[in-house]
Amino acid sequence: MIWLIQDFDLLSVLLRALALSFEAVAVGGVLVLLVVAPARLAEAAARNGVCRFVARFSLALAIVQLLTAAESALTLMGGDGSGTPGLGLREVLSASFFRADFILAVAALALYFLLRRGPGQLWAVCLTGVAIVASSTALSHAASRMDGRPLLLLLTASHHLGAAAWIGGMASLLVAIRASKDARKIHAMAQRFSTMAMVSVAVLVAAGIGMAKLYVGSWSGMYGTSYGVVILAKTYLLLLALTLGASNFWLVRETRSEAVPVLRRLRRFSEIEIGLGFTALLAAASLTSQPPAIDVGQQDILSAHEIAQRMSWKWPRLQTPRHADLPPTAPLKEHLEDSSFSGGAPNDAMNQRWSEYNHQWSGLIVLAAGLLALVSRFKGQGWARNWPLLFLGLAIFIVLRADPDAWPLGPRPFWGSFAEAEVLEHRLFAALITCFAIFEWAVETGRLKDGKAVLVFPALCAVGGALLLTHSHGTGDLRDELYAELSHTPIALLGATAGWGRWLELRWPQSDAHPERRSTIVRMASWIWPVCLMLVGLILLDYRES
Amino acid sequence: MIKRNLLGAFLVVTCLVSVSQLAFAHAVLVSSTPKIHGILHGPTIDVDLQFNSRVDGTRSSLSLVTPGGAVQPLTLEKQTAPNELGAHTKLNPGKYTLRWTALATDGHITRGEVPFTVD
Repeated sequence: MIWLIQDFDLLSVLLRALALSFEAVAVGGVLVLLVVAPARLAEAAARNGVCRFVARFSLALAIVQLLTAAESALTLMGGDGSGTPGLGLREVLSASFFRADFILAVAALALYFLLRRGPGQLWAVCLTGVAIVASSTALSHAASRMDGRPLLLLLTASHHLGAAAWIGGMASLLVAIRASKDARKIHAMAQRFSTMAMVSVAVLVAAGIGMAKLYVGSWSGMYGTSYGVVILAKTYLLLLALTLGASNFWLVRETRSEAVPVLRRLRRFSEIEIGLGFTALLAAASLTSQPPAIDVGQQDILSAHEIAQRMSWKWPRLQTPRHADLPPTAPLKEHLEDSSFSGGAPNDAMNQRWSEYNHQWSGLIVLAAGLLALVSRFKGQGWARNWPLLFLGLAIFIVLRADPDAWPLGPRPFWGSFAEAEVLEHRLFAALITCFAIFEWAVETGRLKDGKAVLVFPALCAVGGALLLTHSHGTGDLRDELYAELSHTPIALLGATAGWGRWLELRWPQSDAHPERRSTIVRMASWIWPVCLMLVGLILLDYRES
Repeated sequence: MIKRNLLGAFLVVTCLVSVSQLAFAHAVLVSSTPKIHGILHGPTIDVDLQFNSRVDGTRSSLSLVTPGGAVQPLTLEKQTAPNELGAHTKLNPGKYTLRWTALATDGHITRGEVPFTVD
């Protein structure tokens, strides 16, 4: 089991992120059928379209939840990896979390079968929606708290419902709009959704504030702990999504007069709003795997002064220690056993300098890529459109240097070192950076014009940025980990902003009949994303571990 | 359709790449007997761990790494509080590491260790 334990931990966070996203779409879709597109006010084609759409996500939710249950069961049955025997199957099946996992999966599966038959039997559809939210809430922090459990469960359920109605509901609204033909009915649906979204945002924010009060408890916990920093990141994403939501609100008011072109723009803004919403949901998944700030000891909370000192600009040294100067490499099995329980050995000075050098050189590459992307926006600077090729250099750099204990520099073998979650992440990152560099280079230089393929770079940028919020360095020291996160969180947010900015630029209808009316937001987006890349580069250049 | 599926698979793999290994950071050990790097008088040792959240008293586990490096499972006692794990054992003088795996009520599995010395 020791060979799988870290990769399973990694998998559990991924599954939680996927489950939260699919839950939002499934429950949001049910609310759209109830409130936005009820039988007497919406076209049958719209309701059928929403049913098919939501059914697919319900099935995905059921599968993810079954995988989650299987992963937890295997982890518990495999023991702790250090020789302690695992649990029996019966013991696992009777655990309360397993029952919640199972109920969630069954409810999602029932919703799938109900919606495949069409939009009838609404009472049963609602019942499954309630079961999904209730069992998901039972798998949240709230269920295991010692104090204020009923209130926290209520706030968590409200938070889930608010997110589902707004973000998940909007995805279903877009499906309904695409399937509808009557402009008046489309306008009415958009208006009803607008009202539902405003109420759900209010519920989401109120519940969020309540939870922050109970889970964070102090201002210092908000900026001085990982938990608080992720909440701040979610707040930024919420504000960004609300800005687009406000744009949508004004567009909805126009849909009566020129439905088709306005709806196309509405769709593009909504895609980004949904994207930002899901980015926040992925951040929420990382919160479920972190201790609430209120439980972190005062000695492990960073002060504002300490944060300001670490984040102040210092010229990078760009000097690496020799590989021979690094501490000796422990056998892989021993290392996995130790790091699975202790979180890893604290970095010594040589390790810190090695890591700083890696981050700073990566920063130089990303800064150069962003700068060239910016230059390529100007007329006559077509050569700069080759900027994505710089990322190929970054991928090679990561493979060579990110894990000095493993192949090719260290003694740990190539395949065996995949058991280390951090190594697995680095290598897959390198492979994906290679893929998106090639895709984006082909798009920038006009070699690739396919509608879906051009979105690979912005989608990976946004999703990668979102999930970077959950990245940990396992240094074995809570304060060191917080320092690392203080640089990684802005990078994650800039990555998400860059990705969705580029998405908006690429998806904006090129055939718009009134180019002079090209939205200011879109014009801004086409400049913002290269600047975001440059800022990521600068943050990496300023990266320090001491 | 194939292109769309490939794109979807690509994005899912990205998620896998980017997600952290921090699943072991959910529950926090609030206090412990023995204390971290603490010194105890043997041979009878009472182990008592208190967490920030409710933990499953029958599905969590405790084990000891002995001075020789062997791993010795400990039998959990009946919980006296929902956030507590406890055990009794007899130990010879030496350096030990107590390893714990806590299953929280919400299903999160947390691991940690408490190094200590018996004199």
